[in-house]
Amino acid sequence: MMWTPLAAYLLLILGLLGAMMGRITWPAVRTAFSDEALLAAIRLSLETSFVSALLSVLVAIPAGYALSRSRFPGLAALDTVLDIPIVLPPLIIGLAVLIFFSTPFGRWVDRLNGPEGWIIYHPAGIVLVQFLIGAAIAVRVVKAGFDNVDERYENVAWTLGANRWQAFAKVAAPLVWPNVAAAAIISWARIFGLFGPVILVAGTMRERTEIMPTTIFLEISIGRLEVALVVGAMMVAISMATLIAFKKIGGKGYFW
Amino acid sequence: MTGSGIEIAGLSFSIGDFRMERLDLSVEEGEYLVLSGPNGAGKTVLTKLVCGLLAPASGKISILGRDVTATPPWKRRVGYVPQDSPLFPNRGVRGNIEFGLEVAGVSKAERRKTAEGMAEKLGIERMLDRGVAGLSGGERQKVCLARALVLRPDVLVLDEPVSAIDEESRAEICAFLRDEHERTGVTAIHVSHNSEETAMLADRMARMESGSVAEILAGRKKSGSGG
Repeated sequence: MMWTPLAAYLLLILGLLGAMMGRITWPAVRTAFSDEALLAAIRLSLETSFVSALLSVLVAIPAGYALSRSRFPGLAALDTVLDIPIVLPPLIIGLAVLIFFSTPFGRWVDRLNGPEGWIIYHPAGIVLVQFLIGAAIAVRVVKAGFDNVDERYENVAWTLGANRWQAFAKVAAPLVWPNVAAAAIISWARIFGLFGPVILVAGTMRERTEIMPTTIFLEISIGRLEVALVVGAMMVAISMATLIAFKKIGGKGYFW
Repeated sequence: MTGSGIEIAGLSFSIGDFRMERLDLSVEEGEYLVLSGPNGAGKTVLTKLVCGLLAPASGKISILGRDVTATPPWKRRVGYVPQDSPLFPNRGVRGNIEFGLEVAGVSKAERRKTAEGMAEKLGIERMLDRGVAGLSGGERQKVCLARALVLRPDVLVLDEPVSAIDEESRAEICAFLRDEHERTGVTAIHVSHNSEETAMLADRMARMESGSVAEILAGRKKSGSGG
């Protein structure tokens, strides 16, 4: 009885994957793997998503701790602002980034490296939109971990001579390791397939800013549905391998 | 007893409905003061104020003549044993006991030796390589005590350290505290509701009510020794 909904849901997922795999042909696989642009897109997808997930977690650990341990007027409002990237449609985030970088200050930031810019229509733009969404999720998950760590551990650590940083690094942070791993998993999973804001901010220029989700869009738009499906299947395989690796690294936490 | 161990003067603090107003309390150097009183009287708040875990609105706290009112807890040299023995779950027994020494930069060999010496005194040397999850209440409290005492603190603050453990462990820990106090002469504040515990340990007793010290009495230990 309890297994029926789970079995039905699993069948649905496997059915969809099976239908997708069934349409893939060997010539399409050969075409995909011999296409330099596609291989560059795979590389850029992996690089940008891992960098963004890493940045998200690096920001989430201190930010989650600060939010969990601080008490000041306006904390609830600040907490809500941090949820905005989670609830906003990703396209709006991309649009907001584009508008920001069209302001004088944004243009100045973008052209710090030269007149060609380094964010808009560049891989850094992909990382920026992925990070904006990934960090919001990571902060939420890591904060939940710190909320569950009894503050008395840090209080006792202080009386044992540990300053705030030492109590954080030696006592509180190690206790939220499963949450940090979960934050990495969830934020990476969310941003690996991100499409709308990426295409708005970075475009999809072959071998420059093309990533796997935008490849699928490009392949469909030129009528190569089978090649798009090969890329989709590769994304499934990469996602499964990465998620399994993350779970192994993170150990048994409450998210799995 | 030569001078002032802990000097609390005009201490005020409030949180929610609780108010502590201009509390004065003096514990002589080397004295063992047992603090009692009903729930909500402010005993735990007072221990946290002495440790620096709460900041007073006004007043002054001195430890061995040193004004520590604005000193952070990690610089006060107060050995603190709170209720319910919160041991660090990510460390084993040895890791818990050695924590303060590790933070202070003591070498691994020295840490090991000091922790083993203290564990032996408390009869927990065979548990050193165990995790903390399976320890009984009495064992946990002994590890907490060892963790605080290995640092040779200037003063000891114990907040109901034996209230939630079995009779046998309670007697053992109280005997250890009495011997350790007699041996080192460390100034101590010990929160307790138990009359036997108080009789065994107290040089003096202070009874708190509604955020102030209602009464101070000589302990049986002091009376018995003619002190």
